[in-house]
Amino acid sequence: MAESLLTNEAAVLPTAPRRESRIRAFWRPFVASRMGPIGLGILICVALCALLAGVIAPDGPFKLGAPRLIGPGEQGHLLGTDHLGRDMLAQLVYGARVSLTIGLVAASISLFVGVVIGSVAGYFGGWVDLVLSRLTDMFLIIPAFFLIIVVVATLGSGIGYVMVVIGLTAWPTSARLMRAQTLSLRERTFIQALRALGESGPRILFRHIVPNGIQPLIANASLDIASAILIEAGLSFIGLGDPNKATWGRMIFDGRTTILTAWWASVLPGIAIIVTVLGFYLVGDGISYVLSPRSRKVSK
Amino acid sequence: MGRYISRQLASIIPTILLSIVLNFMLLHAAPGDPARVMAGKDNPSEEQIEAIRKSLGLDQPLPVQFWKYVKELAQGNLGQSITYKQPVFDLIMQRLPATLLLTVTSAVLALSIGTLLGVIAAQKSGRPVDSALSFSNYALFAIPSFWLGLIMIVIFSSKLGWLPTSGMRTVRADYTGWRDKLDVLQHLVLPVATLALVQIPIYFRITRASVQLQQREDYVTTFRATGIPEPRVFRRYALRNALLPTVTVFGLGLGFVFTGAALVEIVFAWPGIGRLTLDAVFRRDYPLLLGVYLVLAIAVSVAVLLTDIVYALLDPRIRLR
Repeated sequence: MAESLLTNEAAVLPTAPRRESRIRAFWRPFVASRMGPIGLGILICVALCALLAGVIAPDGPFKLGAPRLIGPGEQGHLLGTDHLGRDMLAQLVYGARVSLTIGLVAASISLFVGVVIGSVAGYFGGWVDLVLSRLTDMFLIIPAFFLIIVVVATLGSGIGYVMVVIGLTAWPTSARLMRAQTLSLRERTFIQALRALGESGPRILFRHIVPNGIQPLIANASLDIASAILIEAGLSFIGLGDPNKATWGRMIFDGRTTILTAWWASVLPGIAIIVTVLGFYLVGDGISYVLSPRSRKVSK
Repeated sequence: MGRYISRQLASIIPTILLSIVLNFMLLHAAPGDPARVMAGKDNPSEEQIEAIRKSLGLDQPLPVQFWKYVKELAQGNLGQSITYKQPVFDLIMQRLPATLLLTVTSAVLALSIGTLLGVIAAQKSGRPVDSALSFSNYALFAIPSFWLGLIMIVIFSSKLGWLPTSGMRTVRADYTGWRDKLDVLQHLVLPVATLALVQIPIYFRITRASVQLQQREDYVTTFRATGIPEPRVFRRYALRNALLPTVTVFGLGLGFVFTGAALVEIVFAWPGIGRLTLDAVFRRDYPLLLGVYLVLAIAVSVAVLLTDIVYALLDPRIRLR
């Protein structure tokens, strides 16, 4: 509901600019949104950490041997060590890989499912719409985090399961947005014309309606990435994360018993989560701004 | 109104059914023998497994099994917890009041603060106040609840010593009457503050967007044109309409509150559903885990139904649609 209300204004399709390149038409209002560029800056930094993890920490995240819980800056450990003497910086940069992977894969899954269900429901209408919309409402109501806990606890907590399960519970918002977009596009002249020309239903749907209506879902996907990262952190915190990966959630969990004597062990991974998630929120805000009618005056 | 309620009621039944089916499927999807899963991992005796197999009717075809499962559910039988050796339903009911105290208090607080800030931001739309509020709300929404809880404990309990670190009552104090209530209140402050803070952004965002939308509506322009003073237009008409969506979000947000509450409960050792869930996860107590999930799904569905009804009472247009 929150999203659908916010994106109602974004659902108005921007008219294609004539002489301006598409990138510039996007970029100028994106910068004008103020939030967008800050978020993008943050995300570039996080992505660089994740990509260069092997360079920043050549020994990997789990190298033992250093003294336990030494503070930031001591003995060559820029951000200190954890309760097993593992380098904090190394774990943080490898954790960035895990968080970004989970966020991107889970959000892609939910985007894909949402687009398919929403566009099919909106295009075909009738009982198909009724059944799919009901299904969407159901998944919107079900407490997703508990479902994820139950699934991961019974089936196993490998990173693959976690990504798929998060993706399969997060799609209802995308589906609702896509359905609304399809309903309005379906009545537009160019779609009517294609239908008159004898173009097949699925072809109209996936070649013409989906590409034209997907923009509001991109802003929403950014929020989905953020929430997937938070969910994974929560799972890791209660011991359901992938045991073979360095994750920020587990670092917080590991560090919580020593938080009074060694704050860095749990405070730093928390900050890493906040900064990354904030980056995705701000980029999402920037994209919604570009798509909203308010930004028209800027792009002209 | 009666027709509206029955229609809404008919729409939550499929949701509850879906939860039951998902629950049933998960039991069978778990690796290995469901009876063994139900009995827990710590070497259950063959008789135990046999008893579970019989009670679930695992030797019969799936539809028959499902029917049995639903019949048991209808009688409030969610099975027996392995670790607590008590009926799952009783365990959940024992813990529910503590969770409700935490969730409802924090949700109401977040609703009031978030709505207020949202109205302020919308009125100062585009100005620095709005940008600052929007940015801080994004930042707040990015904080994992469990991490915020830890930080709260460090600052307000350990460093400042103002409030207790964990639990719901002082251990071995055995207070009674108002002293007991005060004790619970003291323990409640930090978890509620944590949970309220992470929820504020939900209400902030919806209120800000909704107020902005209402101020652009034709009827508002008409009122302005007829010379009604701006504060009056805003307070009597625009604001009232703008606050309606928060009601719906309050209902839908309950799922989120339970999630946040579970993690916060774990951090503060609050004796509610969240701790129960964690225990169930760690001890592989599947009947308990599945039971908690099902009860929550039903509770949230009913809460959404109630909000829909409240919404319809507040806004006649919904009923007529």
